Amino acid sequence: MEQNQTIISLKGITKTFSTRNGTVEALKGIDLDIKRGEIFGIIGLSGAGKSTLVRCINLLERPDGGSVVINDTDLMSLSASGLREKRREIGMIFQQFHLLMQKTALENVCFPMEIAKVPKADAKKRAEELLEMVGLADRMYSYPAQLSGGQKQRVAIARALAMSPQVLLCDEATSALDPNTTKGVLELLKEINRKMGITVIIITHEMKVIREICHRVAIISDGAIAELGKVEEVFRAPKTDAGRALVFHEGDSREGYDGPMERCYRIVFDESNSNEPLLGSMMIECGAPVNILAANTRSIEGKVYGQMLIQLPKDAALREKMIANLRAKDILVEEVDHV
Amino acid sequence: MFDSEMIALVAQAFGESIFMTVASSIMAYVIGLPMGFILVASEEGGIAPMPMVNKILGAVVNFFRSIPFLILLVAIMPFTQAIVGTVIGAKAATVVLVVAAAPFVARMVETSLKEVDRGVIEAAESMGATPFEIMRKVLLPEAMPSLLLGSSIVTTTILAYSAMAGFCGGGGLGAIAINYGYYRGDRVIMWVMVVLIVLIVAVLQSAGIYISKKKDKRL
Ligand SMILES: Nc1ncnc2c1ncn2[C@@H]1O[C@H](COP(=O)(O)OP(=O)(O)O)[C@@H](O)[C@H]1O
Ligand SMILES: [Mg+2]
Repeated sequence: MEQNQTIISLKGITKTFSTRNGTVEALKGIDLDIKRGEIFGIIGLSGAGKSTLVRCINLLERPDGGSVVINDTDLMSLSASGLREKRREIGMIFQQFHLLMQKTALENVCFPMEIAKVPKADAKKRAEELLEMVGLADRMYSYPAQLSGGQKQRVAIARALAMSPQVLLCDEATSALDPNTTKGVLELLKEINRKMGITVIIITHEMKVIREICHRVAIISDGAIAELGKVEEVFRAPKTDAGRALVFHEGDSREGYDGPMERCYRIVFDESNSNEPLLGSMMIECGAPVNILAANTRSIEGKVYGQMLIQLPKDAALREKMIANLRAKDILVEEVDHV
Repeated sequence: MFDSEMIALVAQAFGESIFMTVASSIMAYVIGLPMGFILVASEEGGIAPMPMVNKILGAVVNFFRSIPFLILLVAIMPFTQAIVGTVIGAKAATVVLVVAAAPFVARMVETSLKEVDRGVIEAAESMGATPFEIMRKVLLPEAMPSLLLGSSIVTTTILAYSAMAGFCGGGGLGAIAINYGYYRGDRVIMWVMVVLIVLIVAVLQSAGIYISKKKDKRL
């Protein structure tokens, strides 16, 4: 399938909620093009507008302004029944699974096909195949209450795939799962993307989810897209405060230092140069030491990146020299005013 | 005191009470169940928002719910007369019971349906289900255990009303209790009626709980 073809095009999406305590501008003009066959991540802090955005894609939430075009169809212009028809091309899974509690796994997977008036026998056959694919061949007649979180999400995935959608929307699909189960579910999504060519949109507040499976990522902050690009590029050198907040200050990667600091710089290097003693050779070449405040490495899509926070000497000329030296070694250097 | 004549009378009254309760319950659900669905679907943020419909229906339900049963019984006598041709006996009582219970059923159904997780409804919407399909294939089955539990409360309430209707010529066990127990001062008969009514309530309630538990797949 053509990788660069746009399947979903969002233009100028705005959404304001009015509540008793005033209005909340949840989305402030979102432009986004999703390519056919990619796994696209949308990351942001809680309340950033991620769920609202993903719900605008299948019009569970109707934007106040802007357009949603999927496969050249403008969803906003569709009639109610036209929209229902179109929604079958878009599968969706949720953090809390949202399975029918009074129905078995098999009946849950049959449900969208029942809605679409697929003959019962055909539906059952396809549901069995799907449950087999997600690894639940032996739990077809179990009720959701008898399944673990990971198994419930697998049923939900099978259900979302029942109508052979072209797009799968995942709203915090792994946020209620433990790390091991998360890994399994992400592997499954990756496989679905690869084998069926389904475009997957992943909403999450967890970096590791994006790092694990996404090709491109958008960072959403306060109802607007702060950064967008290939995962490795965005995570390697986030350009905005929102991006930095997410990438370098997330849970386990916290450097154990925070506070204001003068002449403080972040350097980021990748595999190709992380094996050399770059900082050491720079200090020797410039004849002066630097203060290392923090350092860590992380792997993004199989590539290893390292980053350090360093404090450079007071001498401005020496500082310039050091920066130039590092940049010549293909290392990204940027000044940060706080750590 | 308990001659064969009396026993036949009690047996007939027992049958009348059961008839009134079952018939009125069924008809109250025929009217109240769709009303409950409309109340839930039409509310703001519901699956088919219709604020005007919701307001009017809600007001009608509240109006009938706030009329004390005995006053309602007297107030709708012309209506009862028009429907069944009489204002006394089990049939007439059934009409009043339905009018009194249908709004109650509507609220009970509404409460049960609202227990269904909003997310499940949304999942169905994301699959392209129509509002009607959501009502029939999501709300109804998902709320079934709660609806069954509600129905045992409804039937016991109707039974209690039917005993009250007995005071006003409605027949059934209530009528015997009032005629023999109250007017003739036969306390034994009265307590026999009390025990019978309590037994019916107990049976209805435990049946409701049992079936509801049995049906519920949430463990
Ligand atoms: N139905 C709603 N009514 C009112 N405010 C809402 C509603 N849905 C979302 N919001 C608000 O919009 C903002 C974005 O919410 P959401 O999209 O759920 O964020 P996220 O998924 O990124 O945590 C929040 O401030 C939230 O309180
Ligand atoms: Mg959310």
